[in-house]
Amino acid sequence: MDTVTESQRTLYPYVTGSSVVAIKYKDGILMAADMGGSYGSTLRYKSVERLKPIGKHSLLGASGEISDFQEIMRYLDELILIDNMWDDGNSLGPKEVHNYLTRVMYNRRNKFNPLWNSLVLGGVKKGQKYLGTVSMIGVNYEDNHVATGLGNHLARPILRDEWNENLTFEEGVKLLEKCMRVLLYRDRSAVNKIQISKITEEGATVYPPFSLKTYWEFSAFKNPTVGAEGSW
Amino acid sequence: MDKVDFNAPHSMGTTIIGVTYNGGVVLGADSRTSTGVYVANRASDKITQLTDNVYVCRSGSAADSQVVSDYVRYFLHQHTIQLGQPATVKVAANLVRLLAYNNKNNLQTGLIVGGWDKYEGGQIYGVPLGGTIVQQPFAIGGSGSSYLYGFFDQAWKDGMTKDEAEDLVKKAVSLAIARDGASGGVVRTVIINSEGVTRNFYPGDQLPIWHDELEAHNSLLDILGAPEPMNI
Repeated sequence: MDTVTESQRTLYPYVTGSSVVAIKYKDGILMAADMGGSYGSTLRYKSVERLKPIGKHSLLGASGEISDFQEIMRYLDELILIDNMWDDGNSLGPKEVHNYLTRVMYNRRNKFNPLWNSLVLGGVKKGQKYLGTVSMIGVNYEDNHVATGLGNHLARPILRDEWNENLTFEEGVKLLEKCMRVLLYRDRSAVNKIQISKITEEGATVYPPFSLKTYWEFSAFKNPTVGAEGSW
Repeated sequence: MDKVDFNAPHSMGTTIIGVTYNGGVVLGADSRTSTGVYVANRASDKITQLTDNVYVCRSGSAADSQVVSDYVRYFLHQHTIQLGQPATVKVAANLVRLLAYNNKNNLQTGLIVGGWDKYEGGQIYGVPLGGTIVQQPFAIGGSGSSYLYGFFDQAWKDGMTKDEAEDLVKKAVSLAIARDGASGGVVRTVIINSEGVTRNFYPGDQLPIWHDELEAHNSLLDILGAPEPMNI
């Protein structure tokens, strides 16, 4: 009997992006992610764009395996292209794109060959703001603020406390920066180069990358073991 | 698909360095302690005192390295009383070796012992996993050290001054932090010579900017200037 090789499937990720954080604000959606592509514990790539506009009305943010994210971008490019070719005056909104992604992720999960990503999909169409997320096993939901990975544990509590539906652009950016700074302190795979993007009825803007200042001047940080019996 | 090799030694979180110069030693370390991907302590002190004139850099398991340091400090204290004068660096390093070697199956810690005594001057001893002891003009350890072998091969030279040695250590830890996810936080250095011991503390803004890194800002808003006007 010939042995049959097991069909290829993803067992573990190689180059990964860390958390994405997103919020609804007065004019639309604000999304933030760092530009790191980690290779295990090595911070190998530091200029990876993980926030991409989709069509006219949506923004996609991805964490997890970068090659799978690039494949998802190919799928979405085809989806948007075909939608445009109908030339019927209609265009796919964020709710539709989110639903498409959910189906793709779930069907791959059922074949034990997931796309190893957690996705954030936000957008505005006809004044309606939309913000949702899909995981690599197809879990999906919408909310006023979402995050992936460690962002769920570190950023969401801050957002639950400080988010409100009338945030201005400036307030929203400051709030996202607060979340990203905490992730920079407490997430091993975070890299200090951040991109923030927004989407409003007018369209999507991905701002240029920047670095955040961090604070280390606590006296307890300068002399942690003063008065200690031993090593700690 | 390749199988995982469970018998390969684990690389440890951390970057630790010890360097001799003409007159003493400079010890350096990062300040990140992680449990999995979470940074449990972003300002740890990994350079621990054994005697007035001997310090040790700790890497690997935080618990194992702390308990080894504590035992060695205890034995050295008794030894100093019996001897009637400060312990030598060699004796301190050998005590570390005895504990590391005789408990090799139960410990997972790599240590760099450094200090100054009146007989041999400044000395650095590496005690990696397994309990080998090796005296070296400079030693590097921890997972971040993988990124520094090439750097030290090129940048190390004999007979440096105190400032040259400290600059080298600062630069090296900072380079390792840039690429190793398990290293981060601030750079701590300890300089030991005939005059005594000096502790220094260098947060990120006092370290050089490397490739693909950016100058830090308080907020994206400071860079953008006036917010974009809305288009009708």
